[in-house]
Amino acid sequence: MHYAFHFNVVWEHWRELVEGAWLTIRLSAMAMGIGLLAATACAYAKTTGPAAVRWAIAAYIEAIRNTPFLVQVFIIYFSLPATGLSLDANQAALVAMVVNFAAYGAEILRSGLESIGRGQIDAARALGLTRYQVFRHVMLFPAIKVAYPALASQFILLMLGSSVVSAISAVELTAVANSLQSTTFRPFEFYFASMALYLGMALGFRALFTGVYWVTFVRPRLTRPAV
Amino acid sequence: MRTGLIGLIATALSAVALLAPTTADAQNTLEKILASKKIRVAIDVANPPFGVLDKAGQPDGSDVAVARLLAKDLGAELEFVQVPSTGRIPALLAGRADVTIASISVTTERAKAVMYCHPNGALSITIFGPQGVKISSPADLAGKRVGITRATLEEATVPKMAPEGTKIVWFDDLASTVQALLSGQVDAAAMTAFAEKTVSDANPGKHLENKLLVTTAFYGPIVRQNDFELRQWINTWIFVNKNNGNLAAIYKKYTGVELPVLPTF
Repeated sequence: MHYAFHFNVVWEHWRELVEGAWLTIRLSAMAMGIGLLAATACAYAKTTGPAAVRWAIAAYIEAIRNTPFLVQVFIIYFSLPATGLSLDANQAALVAMVVNFAAYGAEILRSGLESIGRGQIDAARALGLTRYQVFRHVMLFPAIKVAYPALASQFILLMLGSSVVSAISAVELTAVANSLQSTTFRPFEFYFASMALYLGMALGFRALFTGVYWVTFVRPRLTRPAV
Repeated sequence: MRTGLIGLIATALSAVALLAPTTADAQNTLEKILASKKIRVAIDVANPPFGVLDKAGQPDGSDVAVARLLAKDLGAELEFVQVPSTGRIPALLAGRADVTIASISVTTERAKAVMYCHPNGALSITIFGPQGVKISSPADLAGKRVGITRATLEEATVPKMAPEGTKIVWFDDLASTVQALLSGQVDAAAMTAFAEKTVSDANPGKHLENKLLVTTAFYGPIVRQNDFELRQWINTWIFVNKNNGNLAAIYKKYTGVELPVLPTF
């Protein structure tokens, strides 16, 4: 059996591939931004809220973390229209990614929050800070610092996992690669090309996250005057 | 980190090497099939009435029946390689299957990648949708969302007939295209007339109706380029089973209509 590689066909279609990759990046970045806010809200409510809210959030987190992402995507795209809420493919993909990332993010943040010593929280309460102020000023920042590597990994997983939204016709990188391979009959070339693009995006985001970590958590310590 | 990266690259390269020819093929594909008494046939079981899964989860449909008869006459054990519509040609190119029998319409584009055997059936592609959606000519498609399935004849034909402003929505398999139509995510969908009938009959409440005929085409088994011996055997088999009525009986059983006169090339 012989398969001759013709990578020139990839260059002929590089613009479409880059457009697909750009949608992957936009969807992932927006899902992370919105999802992180939602995750923080969930983590806050789960640590400080009344029992009913804590239960509801725990149920949401377990439901999302124990079901396949593809099924979540299908429910949002194919089933929500029956309730009168019709989202187009990109909107449905974004909503599904936010809902998914928020559940994992909330659980990751919770582990960060639990790492904060009880004594610190008691001390802040004793100083007269409200529950929200304690969360905002004493707990959140160190919690994010502890949870940061796990959050960054989860984001990469989210970005790579976004490849399944091609199933609901969102035209991201995998969808573009699928269309190109099915019209040019050069499957390996386009799958390798999309693999290289995913790898590049993942490494790029990792470098970005390392930079953000350094600027946010490392540099302030270095520049802070010694006491 | 450095060794990790080198390891990764080495793994990637060895993966590529697996795809490359390893040894000069001493036997052609037909000889291999005859020697091993085993034929691997790629089928798409999400494409009624050509390929479906029956209630027991076993492959069924006209393509499956053709594959079973072909393997029996070849004296080979039949191994099904189930693929989505997008995998029908890649499965062949990757060497996962010896032949694809998946109602794959004859097009000159596909013939650049694989070799067609003589046609063993015919189908037509139609556009259909709910009664409330007005489509009576291709021009009416402008502004409408039309669902099609990747790697199908509709992907090759509908975008060409659709006027400027048509919103073509691509799905990876027929089931998703059908779901999109039923849930109102698209205004109309293109598929084979047989699939259209299955969907319309199963969903009487949706009042789906035929809107446009896109094209009619013949479909046939495909083999890898240069597998001339296998192609010639399959052509011979099609000739025999066309004349003895087996192909017509299978076609009638699954589609409900008479098999048209099949051309050869």
